[in-house]
Amino acid sequence: MADPFLELSDISKTYPGVMALDGVSLSIAHGEVVGLVGENGAGKSTLMKILGGVVMPDKGSIRITGAPFTALTVAEASRAGIAFVHQELNLFDNLDVAANVYIGREPVKGGPLKLIDSKIMHIETKKLLRLLGADFTPATSVAALSLAQQQLVEIAKALSLDARLVIMDEPTSSLTVSETSRLLKVIADLKARGVSVIFISHRLHEVERCADRVIVLRDGRKVGELRQGQISHDAMIRLMIGRSLKSLYLAPAAPPRNEALELDDVSTSTFPEHAVSLKLRQGEILGLAGLVGSGRTELARALFGIDRKLGGEVRLNGKPIAIGSPREAIERGIFLVPEDRKRSGLLLDVSIAENISLPDLDHYTQAFLMQPAPEAENAERQRKQLNIRTRSVHSAAGTLSGGNQQKVVLAKWLSMQPKVIIFDEPTRGVDVGAKQEIYELMRALSDRGVAILMISSDMEEVIGVSDRMAVMHEGRISGFLERDRFSEDNVLKLAVGQSLQ
Amino acid sequence: MKRLLMASAAFAVALSMTMSAGAQDKKTLVFVVNGASDFWKIAEAGVKKAQEELPNYNLELKYPEQAAAAIQQRLMDDLVASGVAAIMVSAIDPKTSTEALDRVGGQVPLFTTDSDAPQSKRIAYIGSSNVELGKNAGQLMLKALPEGGKCMGFVGLPGADNARERIEGVKEVIKGSKVELVDVRGDDIDQTRAKRNVEDTLSAMPDINCMVGFYSYNTPRIYEVLKESGKLGQIKVIGFDEDPITLGGVREGTIEGTVVQNPYEWGYEGMKLMAKFVEGDKSGIPAGGLIIVPGQVIEKGNVDAFAAELKARVGK
Amino acid sequence: MLKKDLGLLLLILVVGAIVAFINPRFLSPINLSNTMNLIGLYGLFSIGVGFVIITGGIELSVGSMFALLGVIFIDLLSTYNVNWVLAFLLIVLAGLALGSLHGFLVTRMNLQPFIVTLCGLLIYRGIARFYTEDATAGFAFGTSFPALEWLVAGRTFGIPHSFIAFIIIAVIMGVVLHRSIFGRYLFAVGKNEEAARYSGIRTNRIIASAYIICGGLAGLAAIFLAMYTRSISPASHGNFYELYAIAAAVLGGCSLRGGEGSVLGIVLGTILLRSISR
Repeated sequence: MADPFLELSDISKTYPGVMALDGVSLSIAHGEVVGLVGENGAGKSTLMKILGGVVMPDKGSIRITGAPFTALTVAEASRAGIAFVHQELNLFDNLDVAANVYIGREPVKGGPLKLIDSKIMHIETKKLLRLLGADFTPATSVAALSLAQQQLVEIAKALSLDARLVIMDEPTSSLTVSETSRLLKVIADLKARGVSVIFISHRLHEVERCADRVIVLRDGRKVGELRQGQISHDAMIRLMIGRSLKSLYLAPAAPPRNEALELDDVSTSTFPEHAVSLKLRQGEILGLAGLVGSGRTELARALFGIDRKLGGEVRLNGKPIAIGSPREAIERGIFLVPEDRKRSGLLLDVSIAENISLPDLDHYTQAFLMQPAPEAENAERQRKQLNIRTRSVHSAAGTLSGGNQQKVVLAKWLSMQPKVIIFDEPTRGVDVGAKQEIYELMRALSDRGVAILMISSDMEEVIGVSDRMAVMHEGRISGFLERDRFSEDNVLKLAVGQSLQ
Repeated sequence: MKRLLMASAAFAVALSMTMSAGAQDKKTLVFVVNGASDFWKIAEAGVKKAQEELPNYNLELKYPEQAAAAIQQRLMDDLVASGVAAIMVSAIDPKTSTEALDRVGGQVPLFTTDSDAPQSKRIAYIGSSNVELGKNAGQLMLKALPEGGKCMGFVGLPGADNARERIEGVKEVIKGSKVELVDVRGDDIDQTRAKRNVEDTLSAMPDINCMVGFYSYNTPRIYEVLKESGKLGQIKVIGFDEDPITLGGVREGTIEGTVVQNPYEWGYEGMKLMAKFVEGDKSGIPAGGLIIVPGQVIEKGNVDAFAAELKARVGK
Repeated sequence: MLKKDLGLLLLILVVGAIVAFINPRFLSPINLSNTMNLIGLYGLFSIGVGFVIITGGIELSVGSMFALLGVIFIDLLSTYNVNWVLAFLLIVLAGLALGSLHGFLVTRMNLQPFIVTLCGLLIYRGIARFYTEDATAGFAFGTSFPALEWLVAGRTFGIPHSFIAFIIIAVIMGVVLHRSIFGRYLFAVGKNEEAARYSGIRTNRIIASAYIICGGLAGLAAIFLAMYTRSISPASHGNFYELYAIAAAVLGGCSLRGGEGSVLGIVLGTILLRSISR
């Protein structure tokens, strides 16, 4: 191969007190897919900011198709054909697809009137969408698209800029299994057209599937590079955390006991014609797999009293219960760790201690007045038990990393007497090390007799952590799997509504 | 307010329909006031009295929804459109709305009352002369303070014509005497501020021994503050208009006197004048177009008679 | 939080010093007493509006409530000769009822607080004007309610009772907001309503309570204001007072996005606003 598209040599960047990047060199060839992995804080985002022209390196040089730069500006980066698809999508959901693709550089007509030439815009967008195999039209409103489809819009935008290198930051974190497969196919297509891709993900088996080469960062340094053939899950983890990780699955200490929660023909307003029946036992982790939109989150919301269930019966320890509000669920010991912890799980600007005490304030009052001392004591206890990494329990929850935030959400419930805990995507946005800690906590809870329902779209997680699995498809359970029949293939088949026989 | 708007819109439609239906037999004369107040209830009594004597006309008194020039203007435009025969108006902002008044005046005979608009094409002004009223108040001040003294004035809008003219009348009379009008404090017609102004004066200027309330609500506020601080009688009070508290103070002797206007006559005479004019008789219009209805000075001696008359007219 | 309040206090002292420098009589006992009276009058309802702002809502109708409740109060006393204690309670109850109405419309009908209370602003004043036929409501000459007047307009050792009432309410509301469960919930709901709901807080009840408290305090303030001016022209009484309340709350550190604020801040905000306006 001739000159690589991009060559970074000896890039360093220091922030006050932190060495964010320390002499990182890498090169990317035309049409090469490079996986970039590392724990949170390993330096991935700083490296990406340098490539985007947002941050200037202290040291080192950048060459793009042979042309040297000491630092890129935003304009230079985009002129050089570097485009980003961010984890948090930057789309205007009140506009249609074509308008989003061309936002800020709309083709104009009508001379001084500068009218938007929507005809050209739509034709061009249509070409791009066909290229990406998208199943929606340029006139579709972005609000009507799924997350995966929105991601395609972002990629179309990158392509319309004539991108030579597309950097994808956690593109699959909110995608379902089948949507992820399609994205990986799009990456393969890009590669075939000579476009280079940097793929950043915590989902290592996806990196394994699509990357030609994997670069691993740890503490601002490049700690390893895996070539095709060397790329494996274990190898990546070893490099990322500097040691090897135990297998995900932790066997329960004792076989599951009595049924804690029983659902009989429970239906929700999203799928009024379909119903769910399942039994959740004390001391087990039941994985609930399925595609996004299969009704899993809606089921969790109904069980927790956020939404009303439409029909059916819920029994707790054999007794039928009605749950009209989260308060009632909490009083019965049914807790939810929600999917979107920033929106529903935590008060980000409020202290850790106050977040933990929030559902159970009666516990910390005397004569109707809040007592800060026991509140802080409990928070301190939870911090030790759950190993929440923070300077003080009085710092705001928003200052924590994803994994530690999730532990704060857990600490809220562990301070009370849980009978059933529903985890909705427990490790989304959580890095590898902290993931393992959360799994260990879940196992410890189930060993204490708590019944756990774990909703997860992460194949690795749902297969690795569950004792038993239920797979949902369009509002009903398409099948149960015991551990010996766990496989990606079986889960996928059930998730798309096929039977296993 | 929404409801009020809707109601008034419905009312306007109904009004225009009855008017166009009854246009042949009865002509309508309208008195448009500048905003809601008790003062206009007295004028309304005068209008009613005139109605008894003018059975061939429809006489009406109209309040704009808010005391804003634009809203008053719209009300008059609506009235013109519905075919009224003549309008008498207490214009909210006569100086800046000459053009708009002329637009109305170009279509129907336009009279002014209360506040004149001399630059406009109005046919005549019937009402008080605020300078004269101010002079009356000045006389009261001189009478109350034979040894001389320092007075503080209180008013809603110091820049408004009626306020400036009243103050000018006062100053004209007390010029050369030992009575002095030190300053006049405005409150933008906020009662809380009106009361605070009096309190502030009392605490900041202990040498003030006379207070003048230029707007109808100023005098009761002065009265209350003096009462609360036990200074009634020590500080002389001169007022304008006929607020019940003001009249009570006059009767009690703690308020020297108050200068009242005669809106009853404005309504009564004004309506009769307009009816005549509409019939073609222009003899009632003097050369300058100014028909001054003199005010009245109410003191302890005549307060009961005045209150009884007022009660008979307004019915309360 | 403390730092912000301290800054505000400093600002008040600076403004006070400047005003006192320009006009030394600012510090005279009578003037201070008058100023305290106004701080009390404005502060009472500013606390209520502050509570609503902390939930992330807004209350625009207090000025119109003063006109409506004020004319009713005066009418109850002077026309219907209702015992003043009863009239007092009725007006506070009426304030609570209007607050409940707002709370109901905001939480159950899911209407925007801005719209609900803006309609209140327009409608209540309209009703007041319709009720009095736009006449000024006032007491007949010489009418006096010695006990009531002492209670709401009197002074003890030169300290106006409106100010004392304000301080008592501020202390109670301060404890409620900063030390009680309800106060904690109020902040939680203002910060992130959804997360609060997921933590088992009955968010609708908390939000509605803030409007009810605000309505009750507005009823109380309506009585104090009515007894201060002793006459109410419904077209102008209390005009724009909602803005003074909002300004005091925001000056005092309440965020219009909700979730932030303190009673001490609102108190200081009111004091600052009153000192500036001199």
